[in-house]
Amino acid sequence: MKQIALYGKGGIGKSTTAANLSAALAGEGFDILQIGCDPKHDSTRMLMHGTWIPTVLDLIRERGDENITVDDVVYRGFRGVRCVEAGGPEPGVGCAGRGIIATFQLLERLDALKGDVIVYDVLGDVVCGGFAMPMREGYAQEIYLVTSGELMSIYAANNIAKAIACLSRRARSRCTLGGVICNAKNIEGEQDLVAEFARRINSRLIAYIPRSREVQIAELHRQTVVEYAPESDQAAVYEELGRAIYANQETSIPTPLEMDELESFAFESVQV
Amino acid sequence: MNSNPSPLNPSRFEGCTLTGALSVLTEVRDAICIIHGPAGCAHHNFSLLHATLLSNDRFEVPRLLSTHLTENDIIFGGEDALETTIVRALSLSPAPASIFVLSTCIVETIGDDTEAVCAKHRGVPVIPVPTAGFLGGVFETGIRNALSSVASLARPRAEPTLSANLVGEKNLEYGADENAAEIARLLGRLGIGINLRFVRGISTRDLERLGSAALNILREPALQPIGEDLRRRFGTPYIPSFPAGLSGTCRFLEEVGQICGIDASAAVEEERAYQKAMLEGFADMAGSRVCFQTAHPMLGADPEAETVCTECAHALNLTVAPDGVPVPFPYPAPVGTAGLRRMLHRWRLLIRR
Repeated sequence: MKQIALYGKGGIGKSTTAANLSAALAGEGFDILQIGCDPKHDSTRMLMHGTWIPTVLDLIRERGDENITVDDVVYRGFRGVRCVEAGGPEPGVGCAGRGIIATFQLLERLDALKGDVIVYDVLGDVVCGGFAMPMREGYAQEIYLVTSGELMSIYAANNIAKAIACLSRRARSRCTLGGVICNAKNIEGEQDLVAEFARRINSRLIAYIPRSREVQIAELHRQTVVEYAPESDQAAVYEELGRAIYANQETSIPTPLEMDELESFAFESVQV
Repeated sequence: MNSNPSPLNPSRFEGCTLTGALSVLTEVRDAICIIHGPAGCAHHNFSLLHATLLSNDRFEVPRLLSTHLTENDIIFGGEDALETTIVRALSLSPAPASIFVLSTCIVETIGDDTEAVCAKHRGVPVIPVPTAGFLGGVFETGIRNALSSVASLARPRAEPTLSANLVGEKNLEYGADENAAEIARLLGRLGIGINLRFVRGISTRDLERLGSAALNILREPALQPIGEDLRRRFGTPYIPSFPAGLSGTCRFLEEVGQICGIDASAAVEEERAYQKAMLEGFADMAGSRVCFQTAHPMLGADPEAETVCTECAHALNLTVAPDGVPVPFPYPAPVGTAGLRRMLHRWRLLIRR
């Protein structure tokens, strides 16, 4: 079983990437579990054809965690991809990080964490220990950073690389960086820029996903591109991403950039 | 985590902010204290307070409620649990005249807005008291936070009467009432009464008159921030500590007289004579050899204790020498002349043994 996690700046396209990746891997005949770890609970929505599935934390809130079965939290979407949404508290109250921990504990107890590949789709930044949960021992061993060529997005990716470097120092930790995925915003020289960033943090660009209108149109139809336009170039890109990740043996402990290194990197890369 | 197991490690006895605050607030006898946190925070404090009340021959049960937070409340926020518990407190019989809401480490971590829940109008005052220990507080911080919060129940400012407040009595110490009685006796020499014991054995309504004393007498100098706070709010001057020692007690009378505009010289003379008579009761100890020692390695030295002991030894013609009978420094320093008498009784037992 391969467990991977996607991290990156909020709004960068992690959920779109994750859902298409899961759909593509399912097309190869694999049993896929995708877990959305974000209180916004919209990670698996396109796999579920626009349906909002009940979140684990909603169920815990309503019933307590004693009376929940696997069938209450795991829903089958496109190509049989099994979908889970952690959910979270109302924005602005409580502790969403603790919610992620509670979700993982419940999924463990229900013995739900199985399949050929588990894809964890985690919210924008590793704001606290709870959101680093997927990186802990026994969960994702490979982290993929999703970023565009925009500097704010690279800053966020660098910050997450810090979390990976920090957690990988723990005893028995198996958390490593699998690679960097460039989800393009159509910036000039974007692919080279992200590839260079990946190299500098001791990793590599594993896929370049060009910006495509197809994605938006598919999402308007509440589907992944892989389902809506299976013959499209964009679908082929996600299929290639799936193959690259599934076959990936080259992982690394990242060496995140210091702030001044990041700033000089920004100056080198952007034509002022 | 502090893993230093030494008995000298101060973190072992600095205690919890919440406990300090509860030692004050449970002495507002018609109030209910709500501990906003997991059940354990209430349990330990309840046991301690109940045991202390029993050992002081008081058979009431401290009125504590816990909001009893569980993991779900931590994830989704504990404000609803607090609201429910306040409503429950109001429905209890006898109805509380005031409610104190004490925060704990966990609710401050998840960011519950305790003050906002308390601000709702409910007919009785609901006072939030910040008591999360991880914010840097210890037992004493809790006492100060509680005194400061509870002071908000006083009437704004009143014409002072010739009376004094006792501020921050140590409610968990055995001699609390004896010490208060000693202050009352000393003030009596100057014709000054006690306005309010702030806070011990009082009701919510009693708190209204906090601002009408001519003088605040703090239990110990650590309470000076509260003394300053009360001076700002009500214009009441303060004396930073209960008196200790023979001359310290006389100085206390002079200081009180000065602040209240009373000539204390007669009172001081009377007290000196009283002390002399008291010392004569211990004349049989004259000539004995004693050696003062720290009461316990875990207790820091009370700086006044040494002065107080040396002064008494001198007055009784004792010899202080390394080969003398070991006599522990009192902790805390004895209050007034009556405190000295109790201390000397213990000395006599040690010397005769």
